[in-house]
Amino acid sequence: MSEPIILVPLDGSKQALAALPVAKVLGEIERAALHILHVGEHELAGDELRSRLGREASVLDGFTIDARVGTPAVEILQVAGEIKPRMIVMCKHSGAERGKMLGRTAMKVLHDAPCPVVLVPPERGATPWHLHHVLVPHDGTPSTSAALQPAAELAERGRAELLVVHVTDIRAAPAEPGSLTTPRYVDQPQHEWPAWTSEFINRLACVCPLGHLHVRIVLAHGDTAAEVLRLCKRQSTDLIVLAWRKIWEAPHAATLKDILREAHCPIMVVRT
Amino acid sequence: MVDPLSGGPPAGLPELRARQASLHLAQLPAVPTGDPGWILVEEGFTLAREHEVESLFAIGNGYAGSRGSLAEGSALSAPATFVAGVFDSKPGSAPELAPTADWTHLSTTIDGQPLRLDRGHNLEHRRILDMRQGILWREWRHQDEAGRITQLRALRLVSLADHHLLVQCVTIMPENFSGRLFIDATMTGPVVQVTGSGTTVAMAVARRVMDHAERWTPSTELVEGRQSLELRLGKTYRLDRIVALHTSRDTREPRETAGKHVERAIDDVAGVIAEHSDSWQARWEASDLRIEGDPTAQRALRFAIYHLLSAVNPQDDRVSIGARGLSGTAYKGHVFWDTDIFMLPFFILTYPEAARALVMYRYHTLAAARAKAARLGYRGAFYAWESADSGEDVTPPFVVAPDGQVVQILTGEQEQHISADVAFGVWNYWQATGDDHFLVEAGTEILIETARFWASRAEREEDGRYHIRGVIGPDEYHETVDDNAYTNGMAQWNLEVAAETTNLVAERWPGPWQALSHRLGIEPEEPHRWQQVARDFYTGFDEQTGLFEQFRGYFGLEDIDLAAFVPRTAPMDVLLSRERIQRSKIIKQPDVVMLVYLLWERMPPEVRKANFEYYEPRCGHGSSLSPAIHALVAARLGDTALAERYFRQAAEIDLADSMGNAVGGIHAGALGGLWQAAVLGFAGLRFCGEKPEHRANLPPSWCSLSMRFQWRGQWHELTLPEGAERRKAEEDP
Repeated sequence: MSEPIILVPLDGSKQALAALPVAKVLGEIERAALHILHVGEHELAGDELRSRLGREASVLDGFTIDARVGTPAVEILQVAGEIKPRMIVMCKHSGAERGKMLGRTAMKVLHDAPCPVVLVPPERGATPWHLHHVLVPHDGTPSTSAALQPAAELAERGRAELLVVHVTDIRAAPAEPGSLTTPRYVDQPQHEWPAWTSEFINRLACVCPLGHLHVRIVLAHGDTAAEVLRLCKRQSTDLIVLAWRKIWEAPHAATLKDILREAHCPIMVVRT
Repeated sequence: MVDPLSGGPPAGLPELRARQASLHLAQLPAVPTGDPGWILVEEGFTLAREHEVESLFAIGNGYAGSRGSLAEGSALSAPATFVAGVFDSKPGSAPELAPTADWTHLSTTIDGQPLRLDRGHNLEHRRILDMRQGILWREWRHQDEAGRITQLRALRLVSLADHHLLVQCVTIMPENFSGRLFIDATMTGPVVQVTGSGTTVAMAVARRVMDHAERWTPSTELVEGRQSLELRLGKTYRLDRIVALHTSRDTREPRETAGKHVERAIDDVAGVIAEHSDSWQARWEASDLRIEGDPTAQRALRFAIYHLLSAVNPQDDRVSIGARGLSGTAYKGHVFWDTDIFMLPFFILTYPEAARALVMYRYHTLAAARAKAARLGYRGAFYAWESADSGEDVTPPFVVAPDGQVVQILTGEQEQHISADVAFGVWNYWQATGDDHFLVEAGTEILIETARFWASRAEREEDGRYHIRGVIGPDEYHETVDDNAYTNGMAQWNLEVAAETTNLVAERWPGPWQALSHRLGIEPEEPHRWQQVARDFYTGFDEQTGLFEQFRGYFGLEDIDLAAFVPRTAPMDVLLSRERIQRSKIIKQPDVVMLVYLLWERMPPEVRKANFEYYEPRCGHGSSLSPAIHALVAARLGDTALAERYFRQAAEIDLADSMGNAVGGIHAGALGGLWQAAVLGFAGLRFCGEKPEHRANLPPSWCSLSMRFQWRGQWHELTLPEGAERRKAEEDP
């Protein structure tokens, strides 16, 4: 079996380098090689990219840089199709797109990538990153459990804690068979809550093997994104993992959009 | 129409037996019930629902209960068989029902390929809970990756005729191939185990396998339950497995007894199944409730009755029914007020022998209730909020809620109404059965000791009234409240009834009374003091409004409009937080309305109505016990539409459970409540005087309701509306 690869697209801006500390740690956890990809309008030698980055270029020492010409998103997806990376780690947007939730390239990659995409806020800069706490919002459906498998595997390999946040939708329960949401009746909390927590983990584990992963379940209610962001701050979360059904248009993906806009930590998006 | 019948329940349902008589040897030795009103069907397979299915499809006979798990297992299977009264105790944790070895485990491979739901294609798969016969059926057509199609049919039961026998029969037929079958029918787990509380549980197993030529390979020739067979295309092969289960609770030599028992049974599997089926038939003839015109309600009521009957054992009065019966691990098998208030009426009226066992459990645990009262500085008996085998209070002291908060559990100390609930069950049992022997030998003692508890618990204050402070009523959202209306009202009732009973027993059975009063040290003036305390009890009743205040200060709490939270899938305390809900008037379940229901005859009609209209809109129904009681009271008050809405909500608690409520077992209390809503609510069956009466308010879709019940030793038939049976007979061609 060939060595796993993590694809790290860089656009030559200093902001984009924020992806690198995250990609490095993920590479160590996954025992994966980093594949740095630069896409420009003209052919660019590795040295030219280094010179554009100036002093920050030293972070690229030791990595092979793959430089291509063309439209960034198209080329990134092309390379992803060729090298089949375990994940793509990239900055949320370039310097020119500051204030946007997602840059144009990141948006296109997110939409069409064949693997999970880790989006890193550029304001992280070169700050070292570690993976101790992974936070996962979960709607209680089996399809979300299945989608979270890469995140669970990552957390287990990185010996991180997986914090599963179930935010109750108080108006309607998910229609998907086998969904588990907040119990409608809590006759005796001393019995009901331990049983519910255990069932939630069991249902997650039966489609998303948890191995020796340390899992905690937290029940919340209200706006999912607000709750995730609140818990993210309180729990010192290093990575948020979001399952996405690949529909971007409103009213869909509201949680994903809010979290992409507000979160200060990297976000891994996996598709259901 | 309430017609007394001259004898016991009549016989019926011969058609199944006739069909069974014509079965081929290689076929399963019974046939499933076809009538959809009697079966629950789970089509296909959704892995994540497996724990729910296991609970809903559980089988039992009150002695033992077994979850409806897949024999070959799955990633989410949790097979478990429990024996009533057999608990495991570990230091520092509450006792819990001890699961036995998995007697249903069966793995099969065909030419080396495991036959499993998660491999290959499932062309057909269904599980059928046959409530009429108490049998769990399975029908499965599986195609493996090589295209081999195997047909498997199975039945499983826990015998109602012989409580110690568990039966499993499986047939396998290769539809389009010949090949090698390997069966592993070994049990998983020890066949003899000693629980933490010292009970020995022994299982003995006998198996036999029938080959294509209808030759049996007996148990003795199977190597530890394993067998290899050459399958021939289109031929049917059958495995029978019988397990005998005995414990040191019922015999000194459980292992030897089980061994001998199973040896006798394996030679007549069909006979064991037929006797079991007959026992269920007899049970249904006494306990069935027939609804014409509403198949959903009919099936829900049959489901309720099935699980209640599966959980009770009239032959063992040292066990009671836990909150989830014997269908799951949730609630650890602990017994709550659910049994005395929600389940007991069903048994009293349709299965008095079983009801007697349940009230005798309270008698046998009286010593522990006395000890609990004494420990807290009171006289008499303060029953455990949660009890297991000994009657000691085994309520867990705290829980870590899923929001991370550590929540102290106060119900064990504060939900004191349990003592009056026990007394209420005892009184109702005696009223309905006229079982004087029970009253004299056990019931009176319970009534006296619970009355003593209240007399010492209530304190006379400056207003000259007796008060009870620092309790939790049925509405568990509000803790440490003063003068809870339900607690005070039931305590008052308990004191009055105890005084009345002592007078009655002293007059009618002076000999036993003398012995009892001497043994309990009853002073002649004690019953009189109970009456005094009862008379001067603070009740929270306001003459002006006709309302009971649920507890002191309740009327001053924040009023939150629950209608603003409709529709809603989560309980209100989760949505608003415990702290906020405690400052509000939102209640978890009927409290004053519960009091109105239980003491119906004492309440003037306008008081019943006023309190229901006040408290019903403020109830968040955070307890599964809540909707059925609202259905019942609404029906009695004549609001049939509201009653029907609550009835359907109650019926869906387990049956429409797609959200995991039933994963740890069925809600036995809610099922008892559902039955009460139909019989004591819609049918309006009441026992005000010396004979039963009814004031029916049937839902419009119910063309008729008919049932049998026993009142003071005589069977009665109730058919509603009047003449419905006759009209139906005239309409039928």
